[in-house]
Amino acid sequence: MAVKKKFPYRAALVACNGSCRAGENGCTYGCTGCGSCVSACKFDAIAINRDGVAQVSEEKCVACGACVRACPQQIIRLHDCANAIVVKCSNRDKGAAARKQCPVSCVGCGMCEKLCTSGAVRVRENCAVIDESLCLSCGMCAVKCPRHAICDLRGIFTT
Amino acid sequence: MATFMINGQAVTPPRNMKLLRLLRDELGLTGAKDGCSEGACGACTVLIDGQPCRACVPDTDMLAGRQILTIEGLTDWEKQVYTFAYGEAGAVQCGFCIPGMVLCSKALLDRNPDPTEPEIRYALRNNYCRCTGYVKIVEAVRLAGKILREGRIPEKSADSWQLGARVQRLDAEEKVLGTGKYPDDYYPDGMLYGSALRSKYARARVLSIDTSAAKALPGVAAVLTAEDIPGQNKIGHLKHDQYTLIPVGGLTHYLGDAVALIAAGDRETVEKAKKLVKVAYEVLPAVHNIQEAAADSAPRVFDEEADNVCAHRHISRGSAAEAIRRSKHVISQHFETPWTEHAFLEPECAVSYIDEDGDVFLYSTDQSAHQTLHECRLLLGTDKVKVQNALVGGGFGGKEDMTVQHHAALLTYVTRRPVKVKLTRAESLLIHPKRHPFVMDLTMGCDENGIIQGVKAAVSTDTGAFASLGGPVLERACTHAAGPYQYQDFEIDGTAYYTNNPPAGAFRGFGVTQTCFATESLLNMMADLVGISPWEIRMRNAIRPGGVLPNGQIVDSSTGLVETLEAVKPYFDEAIAAGKPVGLACAMKNAGVGVGIPDTGRVKLVVEPDEKVHIYTGASCIGQGLGTVLAQLTVSNTDLDREDIVYERSNTWIAPDSGTTSGSRQTMITGEACRRACEKLMEARRAGKALADMVGETYYGEYLAKTDPLGADVPNPVSHVAYGYATQMCILDPKTGKIEKLVAAHDVGRAVNPLSCEGQIEGGVVMSMGFALRERYPIDEDCRPIEKYGSLGLFRAHEVPEIVPIVIDKPGLNVACGAIGIGEITSIPTAPAIADAYFRYDGQRRCELPLRHTPYEREV
Repeated sequence: MAVKKKFPYRAALVACNGSCRAGENGCTYGCTGCGSCVSACKFDAIAINRDGVAQVSEEKCVACGACVRACPQQIIRLHDCANAIVVKCSNRDKGAAARKQCPVSCVGCGMCEKLCTSGAVRVRENCAVIDESLCLSCGMCAVKCPRHAICDLRGIFTT
Repeated sequence: MATFMINGQAVTPPRNMKLLRLLRDELGLTGAKDGCSEGACGACTVLIDGQPCRACVPDTDMLAGRQILTIEGLTDWEKQVYTFAYGEAGAVQCGFCIPGMVLCSKALLDRNPDPTEPEIRYALRNNYCRCTGYVKIVEAVRLAGKILREGRIPEKSADSWQLGARVQRLDAEEKVLGTGKYPDDYYPDGMLYGSALRSKYARARVLSIDTSAAKALPGVAAVLTAEDIPGQNKIGHLKHDQYTLIPVGGLTHYLGDAVALIAAGDRETVEKAKKLVKVAYEVLPAVHNIQEAAADSAPRVFDEEADNVCAHRHISRGSAAEAIRRSKHVISQHFETPWTEHAFLEPECAVSYIDEDGDVFLYSTDQSAHQTLHECRLLLGTDKVKVQNALVGGGFGGKEDMTVQHHAALLTYVTRRPVKVKLTRAESLLIHPKRHPFVMDLTMGCDENGIIQGVKAAVSTDTGAFASLGGPVLERACTHAAGPYQYQDFEIDGTAYYTNNPPAGAFRGFGVTQTCFATESLLNMMADLVGISPWEIRMRNAIRPGGVLPNGQIVDSSTGLVETLEAVKPYFDEAIAAGKPVGLACAMKNAGVGVGIPDTGRVKLVVEPDEKVHIYTGASCIGQGLGTVLAQLTVSNTDLDREDIVYERSNTWIAPDSGTTSGSRQTMITGEACRRACEKLMEARRAGKALADMVGETYYGEYLAKTDPLGADVPNPVSHVAYGYATQMCILDPKTGKIEKLVAAHDVGRAVNPLSCEGQIEGGVVMSMGFALRERYPIDEDCRPIEKYGSLGLFRAHEVPEIVPIVIDKPGLNVACGAIGIGEITSIPTAPAIADAYFRYDGQRRCELPLRHTPYEREV
């Protein structure tokens, strides 16, 4: 189905990098690969990837928000596609616990907050959050994140 | 070790480093400009696999296999297209952001050949520009897209170079392609990096400085303290109260005060050496604000001063108190305006070396090479100094004072080696003088028809850690607080206080931005009280040719305030009829220093062996387009063509001192000197000489703008040779509360280049949108500025509303072919116009900036 997207383009974002298979190692926040979002999506824009985590095709996504509503973990949100620098973690446990649960979890170390020139990144409840209205998409946080929890969706600063 | 492609060539860096350092320091690709090295500004944008990325962000080790394109790697066709499009659109001012903008344009147009305006704005939105307000850059991208689609570069829309022609800037190409050199782009052989160790405390006494460990560090060439200064330690733009280095026993005045200077072969060693300098301080209580500075028991910022008063002005004509007492309507109101950071894209940088004459030679980015010369001579105690202006990446008043030039000169003087001193962006935010915060109390009296009877005011400013231009800024704030209206009873009392905050000095508008906000807001309140429109009250009070300003000056026939009001009237009426919230404000701004201070323009036209006329003037082009103005004036006042003329950047050994680029003065003052030089050149031409016969000849023009001092005992003193006038209007979208349109009508006397005038207007308006709505420069308890470049609140390309610049030609001024400077006034009436629009929107009168409770407000 061809749906014309409205500019500026938005798309769903799953805030989980998912190398851990949520639940198995104790992360109670991340994507469990349950597939609710996949079923909810009418545009074939979301699929479970080989890490067992939901992944959005920004090309296909029209930002209707069905997956956001369907996600039982509440870790899908809509974001501005032009903001390619995103936090792909939702773990709100304290650093030591979060570190054990997943190799790419945000541990709330605050490196990103300290480095950010525009005051766009804040650690809230032990997890980094980017305010996209302030973010300049420079990628400094993604380059410096010791946990690789912040990603460049373009695949340039992170893979 | 990663290998990747840069502009089609495989590169393997010798060690891991930031991509920007590789490009600039190792490969000499200086088209990527270093504006912050912290990911904020976008001036170092390159394309990595076709995506715009800041080169200061990635380490080279993470780039294996990537395709990197810098501005130097564009094809010849692309270079032609972008040079033409950016020049034709008038998108190039200081030029520092432009290579990055061009690469963003290319990334967009490569995948979307015919983008819409929102798409263009979105593509540019992560790159800051402080000069243009983005309007003409957006236009340039649209034009580049058209040319790329059609495959053909059109004719220039103007090529005559006569007065009034919308010609392309003469420096557009070098700025678009990144080949033009700012000081940071010079890398002389054997260059050292210099930097200052700053005071740890805003106010402390330096008890001892031990440099031995730093000196012993391998690679360190010099560690200097106040004892090493051969001349005068204290320098300054006017008042000599700015310490080059704080001596042992001396007080520190703010966190930017330098205690020691270090030069070493690389940046890392400089930073290591800084940590090895041991300074003992006696920490003292600091002065944080005006109230603390004015208190009876206040600690003194300067040992040398009796109190913290930097400057005091009292200006009175007629009897304001009596006039207000007799008025039917009287309003008193308190206003406050904040600190503002210039945020020019190019941080301060100077490169110095010993030249073939044995002189200390400086490449500097400043608003007057002669001022730099003067202060460096004082510091070094020798005349053997030369200064050459490189390109200047924006100034806006913030590059009038010494920040790096004197330090570079001193390090070269001692080491006899080339030295580059460049401020980091964090240092730049701390060190150069800012816009003064003002607190103001005004009372205005009007009769039943809204005719102003008198205004009485008191203002105080925080001028920070040294005088800079705090006195003149206060004075201009006071003289212009009266507004561009005809009434004769005016009194103002102003005081500027030293504090331990960063210094405040010149900033586009020079104090008038602040008092205009108060006066114009008061006038808008008065219109409501009288029951007439804000437009009508201004029309009734507007100064007209032959009228007498509150300062007593009789204004000349070029006075065009009424024309600016009439120009915005259709927009005003239409918006009111459509039920939209509209705010209005007027302003006047002097062109030239005025008030009896000698203010001289000087230009030399030298016919060189290339049989061209070279324009030499000691006047800085800081992005406003002075070179283009002088070339147009020369073409218009001689029989020469553009091809016969070469504009030379300001220097101190050929170009005669033409004063600081300040007070909107260069177009008029240096312009008139240029016109006079042209007259002399034309005498030779009329005698039948061809350029070949004139080689070696110099034609000199000088113009002294004569004015009367403040308080001169004459009935109608001439305070300033000329004033520019403006009316600006803000229209809000009644649904969203966002700005829909800003209309800015400016009387410029004679527009030398209307394209440049529009660029000044758009840039000034957007800069002042920031001042009105969002820009912040908070200072903490330790007197340290909190924000980084990216969080200052500067407006970005996608946030800027429609701007309608209206350039009004009104002849009458008998100098510089009638041209009046427009540099500053563009930023002056914007804030009160926006404030009034928000009052019309929600009924809430806002008397503090930045305005609260607007859609632009950011969480603090």
